[in-house]
Amino acid sequence: MDLIPQLRRAILAQSLPPPSQTLLTTLTSRSPPPPIPSLLATAKARLLASDLTNTSGTVVDPSLPVFPPNIDLATVQESTISQNTHVQVLDIENLSLSRWEQVEELEAIERGERTRGRQVIRVTDEENGEVDGLSSTAGQTQASRAGGAAASGGANAVHRLVLQDGRGKKVFAVELKRISGIGIGKTHIGEKILLRAGAAVARGTVLLTPENCTLLGGKIEAWHEAWMEGRLARLRESVGADRPQ
Amino acid sequence: MKVLCVAEKPSISKAVAGHLSGGSFSTHNTRNKFIKNYSFDFDFGQQWGSSNVTMTCVTGHLTNVEFTSEYKNWSHPPPESLFTAPIVTNDKKDIAKNIADQAKYARLLVIWTDCDREGEHIGQEIVDAARKGNAGIQVKRAKFSNVERAHVLSAARRLVELDEKQVNAVAARIELDLRIGYAFTRFITNNLKHLGGPLADLVLSYGSCQFPTLGFVVDRYFRVKNFVPEPFWGISLMHKKEGKQVRFSWARNRLFDRMTAVLLYERCLAAKKAKVTKVQEKPTRKFKPLPLTTVELQKAATRLLRMSGQQAMTIAEGLYNKGFISYPRTETDRFDKGMNLRALVQKQTTDQRWGPFAQGLVNGGFQQPREGKHDDKAHPPIHPIAHVAPTALTYDEGRLYEYVTRRFLACCSEDAKGMATDIELLFGDEHFSTRGIIVLERNYLDVYIYENWTDSTELPRFTVGEQFEPTEAMMTEGKTSPPNYLTEADLIALMDANGIGTDATMAEHIQKIQDREYVATTTRGGTAATEGDEDGPNEAPATRGGRGRGRGGRGRGGGAGGSARGGRGSGLKVFVPTQLGVALILGFDRMSFETSLGKPFLRKEMELQMKAICQGSTTRRAVLEQSIAQYRQVFLQSQEQVGVLKQACREFIFGQGPRT
Repeated sequence: MDLIPQLRRAILAQSLPPPSQTLLTTLTSRSPPPPIPSLLATAKARLLASDLTNTSGTVVDPSLPVFPPNIDLATVQESTISQNTHVQVLDIENLSLSRWEQVEELEAIERGERTRGRQVIRVTDEENGEVDGLSSTAGQTQASRAGGAAASGGANAVHRLVLQDGRGKKVFAVELKRISGIGIGKTHIGEKILLRAGAAVARGTVLLTPENCTLLGGKIEAWHEAWMEGRLARLRESVGADRPQ
Repeated sequence: MKVLCVAEKPSISKAVAGHLSGGSFSTHNTRNKFIKNYSFDFDFGQQWGSSNVTMTCVTGHLTNVEFTSEYKNWSHPPPESLFTAPIVTNDKKDIAKNIADQAKYARLLVIWTDCDREGEHIGQEIVDAARKGNAGIQVKRAKFSNVERAHVLSAARRLVELDEKQVNAVAARIELDLRIGYAFTRFITNNLKHLGGPLADLVLSYGSCQFPTLGFVVDRYFRVKNFVPEPFWGISLMHKKEGKQVRFSWARNRLFDRMTAVLLYERCLAAKKAKVTKVQEKPTRKFKPLPLTTVELQKAATRLLRMSGQQAMTIAEGLYNKGFISYPRTETDRFDKGMNLRALVQKQTTDQRWGPFAQGLVNGGFQQPREGKHDDKAHPPIHPIAHVAPTALTYDEGRLYEYVTRRFLACCSEDAKGMATDIELLFGDEHFSTRGIIVLERNYLDVYIYENWTDSTELPRFTVGEQFEPTEAMMTEGKTSPPNYLTEADLIALMDANGIGTDATMAEHIQKIQDREYVATTTRGGTAATEGDEDGPNEAPATRGGRGRGRGGRGRGGGAGGSARGGRGSGLKVFVPTQLGVALILGFDRMSFETSLGKPFLRKEMELQMKAICQGSTTRRAVLEQSIAQYRQVFLQSQEQVGVLKQACREFIFGQGPRT
């Protein structure tokens, strides 16, 4: 049967991380096999929710391309990524907002309030999800765009991500140009990104532009939740406000 | 036929009598020395025709409500019984009697109270008093928004009905304020008295508007106190050309990470040359102000004239009573199309200061004012009715009248016009921009001296595609500074946005929390000498410059909000809470109810209910039942957790830390 190569081609055509043989075999083993579009949808969901560093080969091909060695050397003024590389997001920060500003906003939400201009608004539970970006429905991007402009970042916001390759290597990446799909509340922890060959790296930091990366979506639920929960504490700690005054 | 007319206050009574009678009326004293009865003849037209009129007045509300004498004691019966205790209505006897007496001979009663919710309620009080003398008297209401002659005459010939819904809304509000205010005031006072010290003999009043207002002040105080400054970095670019210096600002403004800023800066330097990507010249304008509302008047008076909101309202009221300006309590920021604004402008042409400007408008410069989004359907925006020479006014009256008039003339003028040049650069991967402005026509700014718009420094010529090595490219470092304490204008804006009080009562609430010593004022710029004067906020002046520069790129010339303009300098009064104020708000906040009394939500709901009564979508009875139940619930919870409130007092007033 040529179903496996066919599915494999369809997956790669979407720039998704390369699937493992095990995944392809499992998906196509049902008889009669489901149509290609639904197989592809299942494969996509599995790939995007997986941990790229898991080398067991159940989902992602363990031989997927990784960062060049020494990518994180701060002494190298400029280098490039030599081949298309799939990575996953471990952390995201908005460098355009002070951490304290973000602390105040999160604390207000914790108290059940939100400010819109000068108006203090009581936040009900359904709304809460929007602000935190907890809800993972299809309308989520739109919701956070309407809701927390500050949280998801404006036109000139600069975000810094921590990206991890299939071998577990972590590097910083900043937006050299604004990428509208990146933002707190939009970008999920565990989300997959394809970095294109030729993407610039300066002093160990990948410089992201809309041309050199493709946001593939997805998230690793447990990581994302832990990140959300710990965000306020991390922000407080980083400004030294975690110590009792 | 005999007609009885009753106004809300003596000055209006006299002014209306003057206009209706054409100046010839006879005056009779009453038992109240402030109140006169004027009699004259007037033709009301329609079915009324020529009538023999008596014009008199009340002095604000004619009645007040209180609990019966069994409830005089503060502890017995317990305060929570006040939510359902019987209430009696008392009236100001001599005034009510005068109205009842005069009504005996009249067939028609015409109400001339101010046309707003309170005025409508006072109207009903007058009706009740009149019916005691003459149960069958017919009732009409005059609808007017200033005491200019033609306006008053036309109001007298187009009488309408009293709006019962507004009367009910106010009646509900009065009853709620009484029950809730008394219950919580007694509860707080009784409980905190035992702590002794400064609390032993203090009445700790609670008001459903006062507390949220205090809450805003406390909230800002803690935002200042808890503030943590953070460093940020940016790139500043300067270029000299044709003997002129131009500063370009970085599109990223500032970054809160040094490493990233260094990395981007390094790439700029590596690129060596900057390239001009855009040169655009286009006309720009600075919008003239919107027509004046009460809230804006108060904000302007506190910011530009350094008056308190309450002072400003008292003065405005006086100017209105004398017929110089329109009714000063209005939410409307659009003029009705049918209003003859040119005629009002014409009246100002004789003024020494703005006469020539007004004349210019009359001679063809007149433009219809901008239209805001608010319309209370009762009053036009605040505007001058008649010209008055400064010598006829007190110093402060003169300044407020000047502001109202200049604002009005500015509204009837044209936007200021200029030419803006935008230049954008690409330096490495980084974008920079600058903007130059040349003011071409000042228009409204010539009369509206409270705003300014000046030419920026002249830019040298650049052409798209041009490349140059910038004279200076530097990495800059700054530090965030804490927010400022609230000014009165800030506080009014917060109350307005959160539905605390009406535009007419906000200033009173602000005064009240000062009188109660829940908040104090201090002067910005000087050291804020409050109890919690620890580290942090005081380094503000040194770092504020950095922030200002960093944000410079955003301040576009076109906005008409006016919030950052004018007297933001030192010497501005700001509010800080007292220890008592902090203790009360935190005490209730920490009780962790769904909604603390220190937050605006409960009151806002009540305010919305009042509006709903006016619109006819709910009734007075329903609102009373619901609101009383709600506040009673909060009361019972507060009683259960009163220890939290006491602890907050021990902590903030007596300086005892939380017990461990």
